[in-house]
Amino acid sequence: MKSADRWRPTAAHARAVLSALVLAVVAVLARRPDMLVLATPFAGAAVWAVLLRPTCAPEIRQSLDHSAVHEGEATTWRLCVHDPEGRVDDVAVALNTTEWTEQLPVDGQVVVSLRDDSDQPLAIGIRTTRWGHHRIGPARVAATSAWAGFRWVSGSAADARMLVALPQPSRFDASTPPVHTPGLVGVNRSPQQNNGTEFASIRPFQTGDRLRRIHWPQSLRTGTLHVTSTWADHDRHVVLFVDALSDVGESGGVDGRPSSLDIAVRAAGAIAEHYVSTGDGVALVLLDHRGLHRVPPATGRRHLRRLLDVLATARPARNRFDDDGRIPRGLTPGALVVMLSPLASPAALQRAVTMANHGLTVLVVDCLPPEVVDDRRDPHVALSRRIRSLEREREVRRVGQTGIAVVSWRGPGSLDEVLRDLKRHAGPRIRARS
Amino acid sequence: MSDQLTSGPSRPWGHALVAAVTMRTLVLTSPLLAVGCTWLAAHRTMPAVGIVLVLLAAACAARPDSHLGLLVVVVIGIQWLATVHNRTTPWSVGAAVALAVFHASMAAATVASPAAPWTRAMCRRWVRRLVILIAGSAGTWLIVSAVNRHRPASGSVLVVASLVALAIAGLWARDGTIRAHPPE
Repeated sequence: MKSADRWRPTAAHARAVLSALVLAVVAVLARRPDMLVLATPFAGAAVWAVLLRPTCAPEIRQSLDHSAVHEGEATTWRLCVHDPEGRVDDVAVALNTTEWTEQLPVDGQVVVSLRDDSDQPLAIGIRTTRWGHHRIGPARVAATSAWAGFRWVSGSAADARMLVALPQPSRFDASTPPVHTPGLVGVNRSPQQNNGTEFASIRPFQTGDRLRRIHWPQSLRTGTLHVTSTWADHDRHVVLFVDALSDVGESGGVDGRPSSLDIAVRAAGAIAEHYVSTGDGVALVLLDHRGLHRVPPATGRRHLRRLLDVLATARPARNRFDDDGRIPRGLTPGALVVMLSPLASPAALQRAVTMANHGLTVLVVDCLPPEVVDDRRDPHVALSRRIRSLEREREVRRVGQTGIAVVSWRGPGSLDEVLRDLKRHAGPRIRARS
Repeated sequence: MSDQLTSGPSRPWGHALVAAVTMRTLVLTSPLLAVGCTWLAAHRTMPAVGIVLVLLAAACAARPDSHLGLLVVVVIGIQWLATVHNRTTPWSVGAAVALAVFHASMAAATVASPAAPWTRAMCRRWVRRLVILIAGSAGTWLIVSAVNRHRPASGSVLVVASLVALAIAGLWARDGTIRAHPPE
């Protein structure tokens, strides 16, 4: 048994033993039997505590009902206590949690009588108030024996759990047809006619047409062979580029005002959910304090979960990050790149221009919160913010002139108008000559 | 996943505070009750001792997991010894009740932090055990009264035998307290 796992006598037990002995000795030496009456409660408590002293440490097991929840949702942390001797009276728990979690009871502390209440009530409700990875625990567990005579305190600090709070995707939909994409397998109709499922027309037979495509009724009526042509199906390849280098504004969590990073992460989650649900391939490039983190394109709910998991790890850079403005590797020409950024530095817009020059269709989503708290107490700060804001407007205007759309995130339908314009002007993009 | 915090215990902060405040109030008032019993038994009291006890009790209420409680018991014992001369006064049971409440409330206050709400089962168990201790004190008083009526011989043999018995009890308690495994 390790020293940390031992049952130790408490101050209460020391008081009971010493008070009983002192009062009893005085009663004998002073020949005052009435002092024995005063000594009786202490003697009783001391004997009771010694007789029911536990000898082996209780076994405790912590668990979380869910390892991942969406921000704003709740789960329950539970503690199971196994007392092989049945001598543990009370078990008290204090749970440590990180920022952006709420607990019920508010202070994260519960105490139960193990014998009478069992360990069922040793549960603490945990509600995440912002996306991210939250450390739940370790819990400090203290068990006491009869008359709080002996105490056992858990010493393990490693028994913490990680709770992943996935971003709660903003509401988003897009009814716009797809932008030009190069693939030929998928659920979207290609502008070209080829093998597919959706009917396009009936046309005269050409060399190379498959025999099973021959439309016999039309061929018999006209006397010449006709075939049924179809629109080709293709995949849409959407790349979400999340610029998490800076977090502008103060986050109020899921119930409060969002910061720029909140908007970017939730919007990215919403766009990913939309395109994944339509069967499109969605890739993610996250630029944060660790550098570039890439998730290759794929489809399906499992992939969506992976994207949300990676988005939940986003952390802004605390120090100045050397953002060289280069485009990440693995972006295939023709992909639709949705860049989500607060555009706090010119490097983000420069990167968008570079990507567009490499033949990518780029759409920039401005994630700056609509009402960033302006520090009017310091006139210098207010002035520098104003200057930066004017510079930012000029940079956005200049980028718009190069053909890159910059839109603010407004939730459902945010990108419809821009995607419609991109579709209208869609054509083979040519890599710009440098 | 649930949308609300529904699965955890839903006792509010107030419930926790009721238990914590009650225990600390008992820690604060029970020494005064003992002083009252002493005054009723002796028809006189020492005001200075009362003031010292109030200060010590306040410190005990603030830090229940300390050894200050032992000092409170010693002071009450000395005052009883110095002022009360009736060996069979029933007020000794009152003083024993006050000391039992003091000890139990201080011990209970160390079980959990004030923020942790107590369950009904815990309250019931602590009160039940406290009543057993009080009943034991009343039983001791009955025995002391009965024995004192017969005027037992105050011989040195009885004193020595009592001291030996106390020494054995002390050693047993020490072994049970310090050693990892209690004596069988």
